[in-house]
Amino acid sequence: MGDTELELSPARLEELQKSPSASSTSTTSSLSLPSSPSSGPRPLTSSSPSTSEGLPTSSPPLDVISEGVGELSLVIDTEVAKKACQKVLQKVKFLKADGELSSANSEPVLVNGTAHPSEEEAEPVKNVRRRQKNNSSKQSWLLRLFESKLFDISMAISYLYNSKEPGVQAYIGNRLFSFRNEDVDFYLPQLLNMYIHMDEDVGDAIKPYVVHRCRQSINFSLQCAWLLGAYSSDMHISTQRHSRGTKLRKLILSDELKPSSQRIRREMPQPPPSCPPTLHHSQGMSEHSLSPSKRTHQRSKSDATVSISLSSNLKRTASNPKVETSQDEDLSSSSDSLELEAGTPVRLTPQREFIKSLMGIGKRLATLPTKEQKTQRLISELSLLNHKLPARVWLPTAGFDHHVVRVPHTQAVVLNSKDKAPYLIYVEVLECENFETSSVPVRIPETRIRSTRSVENLPDCGITPDQRASSFSTVPNYDNDDEAWSVDDIGELQVELPEIHTNSCDNISQFSVDSITSQESKEPIFIAAGDIRRRLSEQLAHTPTTFKRDPEDPSAVALKEPWQEKVRRIREGTPYGHLPNWRLLSVIVKCGDDLRQELLAYQVLKQLQIIWEQERVPLWIKPYKILVISSDSGMIEPVVNAVSIHQVKKQSQLSLLDYFRQEHGNYNTEEFLTAQRNFVQSCAGYCLICYLLQVKDRHNGNILLDSEGHIIHIDFGFILSSSPRNLGFETSAFKLTSEFVDVMGGLDGDMFNYYRMLMLQGLIAARKHMEKVIQIVEIMHQGSQLPCFHGSSTIRNLKERFHMNLTEEQLQVLVEQMVDGSMRSITTKLYDGFQYLTNGIM
Amino acid sequence: MAQTEKKAGLLRRTSSSKKPLKEKVLLMYEDIFTKEDPTKSNPRFWDELFLMKVNLEHLEGKLEALDGDEVVKIRDNINSLFHHCVQALAEEHQIKVVNALQTLCALFRGVHQKNKSATGFDIINMLMGFDKAELRMKELMESLDSLLCGDGSESLKSLCLKLLLCLVTVTDNISQNTILEYVMINSIFEAILQILSDVSSRARHGYDAVVLLALLVNYRKYESVNPYIVKLSIVDDEPTLDGLGRVIHHALAEYNRQYKEKEEENQGGFFSTLTSMVGSMFIADADEKLSVQTNEAILLALYEAVHLNRNFITVLAQSHPEIDIATAPAVPIPASPTTPLGTTPPSLDMMNNPELPLDPNLQTSNLLITFLKYSSIVMQDTKDEHRLNSARLCLIILTCIAEDQYADAFLHDDNMNFRVNLHRMPMRHRKKAVDKSIPSRPLVCAVLDLMVEFIVTHMMKEFPMDLYVRCVQIIHKLICYQKKCRVRIHYTWRELWSALINLLKFLLSNETSLLSKHNIFQLALQVVNLFNMFITYGDTFLPTPSSYDELYYEIIRMHQVFDNLYCMVLRVSANAGPWKEPASKVTQALVNARAIINHFNPKIESYATVNHISQLSEDQVLEVVRTNYDTLTLKLQDGLDQFERYSEQPREAGFFKELVRSISLNVRKNVSLSTMSQDVLLKEFSSIS
Repeated sequence: MGDTELELSPARLEELQKSPSASSTSTTSSLSLPSSPSSGPRPLTSSSPSTSEGLPTSSPPLDVISEGVGELSLVIDTEVAKKACQKVLQKVKFLKADGELSSANSEPVLVNGTAHPSEEEAEPVKNVRRRQKNNSSKQSWLLRLFESKLFDISMAISYLYNSKEPGVQAYIGNRLFSFRNEDVDFYLPQLLNMYIHMDEDVGDAIKPYVVHRCRQSINFSLQCAWLLGAYSSDMHISTQRHSRGTKLRKLILSDELKPSSQRIRREMPQPPPSCPPTLHHSQGMSEHSLSPSKRTHQRSKSDATVSISLSSNLKRTASNPKVETSQDEDLSSSSDSLELEAGTPVRLTPQREFIKSLMGIGKRLATLPTKEQKTQRLISELSLLNHKLPARVWLPTAGFDHHVVRVPHTQAVVLNSKDKAPYLIYVEVLECENFETSSVPVRIPETRIRSTRSVENLPDCGITPDQRASSFSTVPNYDNDDEAWSVDDIGELQVELPEIHTNSCDNISQFSVDSITSQESKEPIFIAAGDIRRRLSEQLAHTPTTFKRDPEDPSAVALKEPWQEKVRRIREGTPYGHLPNWRLLSVIVKCGDDLRQELLAYQVLKQLQIIWEQERVPLWIKPYKILVISSDSGMIEPVVNAVSIHQVKKQSQLSLLDYFRQEHGNYNTEEFLTAQRNFVQSCAGYCLICYLLQVKDRHNGNILLDSEGHIIHIDFGFILSSSPRNLGFETSAFKLTSEFVDVMGGLDGDMFNYYRMLMLQGLIAARKHMEKVIQIVEIMHQGSQLPCFHGSSTIRNLKERFHMNLTEEQLQVLVEQMVDGSMRSITTKLYDGFQYLTNGIM
Repeated sequence: MAQTEKKAGLLRRTSSSKKPLKEKVLLMYEDIFTKEDPTKSNPRFWDELFLMKVNLEHLEGKLEALDGDEVVKIRDNINSLFHHCVQALAEEHQIKVVNALQTLCALFRGVHQKNKSATGFDIINMLMGFDKAELRMKELMESLDSLLCGDGSESLKSLCLKLLLCLVTVTDNISQNTILEYVMINSIFEAILQILSDVSSRARHGYDAVVLLALLVNYRKYESVNPYIVKLSIVDDEPTLDGLGRVIHHALAEYNRQYKEKEEENQGGFFSTLTSMVGSMFIADADEKLSVQTNEAILLALYEAVHLNRNFITVLAQSHPEIDIATAPAVPIPASPTTPLGTTPPSLDMMNNPELPLDPNLQTSNLLITFLKYSSIVMQDTKDEHRLNSARLCLIILTCIAEDQYADAFLHDDNMNFRVNLHRMPMRHRKKAVDKSIPSRPLVCAVLDLMVEFIVTHMMKEFPMDLYVRCVQIIHKLICYQKKCRVRIHYTWRELWSALINLLKFLLSNETSLLSKHNIFQLALQVVNLFNMFITYGDTFLPTPSSYDELYYEIIRMHQVFDNLYCMVLRVSANAGPWKEPASKVTQALVNARAIINHFNPKIESYATVNHISQLSEDQVLEVVRTNYDTLTLKLQDGLDQFERYSEQPREAGFFKELVRSISLNVRKNVSLSTMSQDVLLKEFSSIS
């Protein structure tokens, strides 16, 4: 924290100091959302009604405070409650005494409030009052920090977690609204874990934001529901049922958080939740209707007063969607409301069903004994799943909006796992504007492949667009030659002319079948047998090195195939391939595995990646996205163009260095050097990761090698305090085998020095931003039974590994020691041997 | 039920006095077979009639016993019986509906039995009357449609299907059944589809529905536009097509299972072999043949689906009965069948048993695999006419599949590997392959295996020429696809080559006896051209360079066959006669094989002399082959990668007509309405009425 405050520019500091005094001169209402710099015009319009309201209830000198009371008495909305928190904070800043605040004044009002979130929200307000005295001076500084531009989401999370001050917590809860969605999303696991496991104040601070976002997005809703379920699972079953997390999860899944959000989007395309709402916005809303979803930062008194008149109305609408709908009918066009009604019951259902069936497949696969049977079953199950596609479903791991249209079932593979059945599927999607509002693509039958290889007889299966149309409400006419398909003449189907040669003919075979008889008249064509033989060997040699199909390791071939190649091939074989917005995605479905640690590792990796990028350390790591669906299922975004080192060695029967030369060319070629550099940068990155996170179980099956030479560590099942079976293997800081060193050019090579230097730089950079890393882990520690948090010293040990106390020179020595130690580590070799014996992993 | 009794009681008072020993229903039938209008004596005659249990045999017998004059006289009564039957179908009272359905059945059968020679129009006139026929049939079909599609009793639906099957098969030749013209106009296609798409109704009625569909599609197939053909060809609803596939899959799989059981029984030691031999002499044999026959209809349905509907091809690769329920959470699990009515093949109920255990040893199967297995069983023995027909139909279906782009795509899909245990005929000179050793491969390998198996096992005196031609055509079509799409499957082509060479050898050694019946040159030409495909286009689809060497090795090793064939075709083409032209085509096609033999044989001999070896090993020959490619020139034959697309008309029309006739006879024999016992029905409906 100290760092950041020091880094404030003088100008900014000045501004910070000025702002309180400036606001103190004006009415309290001007002390609005600190983050919104454009709060200028607000006070003028809003102050008069509030003062008229506030004056009669209290004496003039206590103007400010009485206003606060006045507002409190109007509690009807969480918004207002938050506003109150705001006030409290502000009052603290002015070092006002709280004696004037009579609890008698506020209590009955709270009772009057019937809306239930408001009651909850009002609670902290009282507490704040009780505590605020002590911390007031500290908090004035805090507020300056909070108002500063440097206050980012990471800090917000940190303060939310560390501050015991409900006012601060409430403030930050409010402040969340002003961050970009994507930024907050990164910390969603932390937010929700705090919501579940920490005290009520934190939860109350977080809830409004979560609810707000849930209304906006189906995706967010489901993510929340899944995470809430997963992170509640460590609680005792009896408490779990009544816990806040479970309640919120139920609320989300019941789909009650939906109605208003849809309308918002329709009325005002993209309400910008990321940027602080402007005054017009909130005012406009208060004039029309106050639907709960439009809860924004209403802090001006005018809003509060307007809300008095509407309060009864509002409550009704909140609890009764029907009223709301009728209220809204004049606003939305009839067609919209129709669609709204149609869409109402199935907002979350399709996606949940989709995920459920994917998980179901995984469960059933686990019952089959052999890989071969699993693969067959997987393919057949997926082909059935295809019947239900396209649908309004999507892959949450993707970075863009889309609808899933087809699963190319024959491409799916079962991954190597001893007793579980994780599998990798490829998913064809059509990119779209917004998966919630864009219409679902129309199904195209399997048999309508537009093969690029042959153009013959395509339009001979008859589907009239109308037939299809009947099953969908809207049919976007994206496929212009639908017309051609509708031609269906039975005569065409039945009468096949015997002379028709359907095969596309290359070079010479353009003649009719019985041309053999009349051959003499034509010039015969001769070819050399040697040419045929040569072509055969050449063509086979030309195909890029592929792995041999192995029924015991079906994924090796699938993963080895270059991604672009695979995309092209699948695109050729699918009826949707011709569409311009067609994309191919892939995902690993894990069933029976807890991915919460993976998610934690992802967050840490991502954070370190950002740090290194910021500090310009060229370390390369590849955090892959994780979707936690429950405490024992989830999805992983596969790393494309990468196979495990185990697979590499088994298939190629080469040493890693020789494999590099086979794939990238000889030493000194540019390709090889690039690959080598990539290898070094990624190796250094992952060595640091392995050290910091204490990643264990580092056998070659868990280390991937991509087509550019990067290594990528996967499977973070054993991190921090947990290690496999605790046999005491892998005592070294990280895995560095002599084979790796060989690829780097040996111990004396420049690249190896580069590697050590990168390690040092990386560690220094990571140390600088240690807090950001620690915080991610620490918050997830709350209430967690995960093995990685086993014992009491997990966080302390993690902190120690950053070696804050060492000088850079000392740090350098440390890195040297670690590298040497790992190099010589007998345990790494032992562990590989152990893995080879027990699991057959090379 | 009390009501029924009461009515019966009423009846007794009026008419039982005359002939007290007869069933009342028979008395009422007699009333119909008089010239008088039965309602004259009893205004409530028709109401009462349909409350009586139908006596099918009696009614049919009565109708058959009529002679020409009588028929004309009682035509009005029969017309009104028909009319009232149709009306009764709309009754609330289910007993009446049942009785009306059965009565209609008897009417259709009886009238046709009587007037075998009569034209369809006479029959229509007699049943419904010309002027009313269209209306009556419309009503009938609409009632049946609503009964089939409604959520009424399952037994009623079953009875409706039986009636329809009965109607469709009353004539030996389906196309002469003029009444079906009305079934064409008033289509029940949608009802059939609905049965197939619904899980529970498919389990109970799927078999009948599929047979009915197969038959209807064949009504005047070549003469007019059959709406069922049109409709079947455009169905694209996956659940429905899948349902159709599952019914077919199940019927074939059931046969495979029974066959396997019997086979295992026979292998179970000496004693059991003896007993089962004795047993099978009497029962099993007849039993088994019967089931091949019953499956003709299913096979025909499969053919029509594959041939007519392009979307059905996808179903071939994806039916997996054992996971039906598990993957379709949206489909409500049907309640277990309440009353086993004995009308559906009993095992069909198993199909959707939700408690079907997940057998870990169960190989995932699909319709295509099951069909290939079935084919391998059926093709083993083609002496029996039904089996020959079935084998032919199997090969026709495979031809259609091999021609289809999409089917080819999944046949060759490297990611879809299966172990297919084909049945191999036990033969003296080879050991029975151990099932376990079969590797998991793309499906096309199984198809090729099946073809090889057929080629090897049917070189017999009664030479099934047309089956061989189809077989070689299928191989050709598959290779054309591989060449075009540059698919290299890892198949042991050597087995195919040696099978084909043996086939040529067989043709040569049986030239005279075969030539009297068949054009052996056509087959020989196809076989030789297959070799030409390998020789000149091998680079596009062979898996390894060494497999190309092996091809040469095989040709050189068996050079005598090619030499002799050349001599033979040269001799035949030298003489004027019907075989001159086909034989000369073979001569020209042989040019490459001969070039290879003439090129390499001297090289091999000189290699042998130089190295003083009398007998060269395979590796040595391959070495010679590899080193001497460059001096060999081959001639590119035209049109090797082209084939004639399968077309049913006119070539196969005769076969299908006969097949449909045989199916009709068989279905007619086996549709038994009597299996639907009145007791069961009464039990079922007593709660309703």
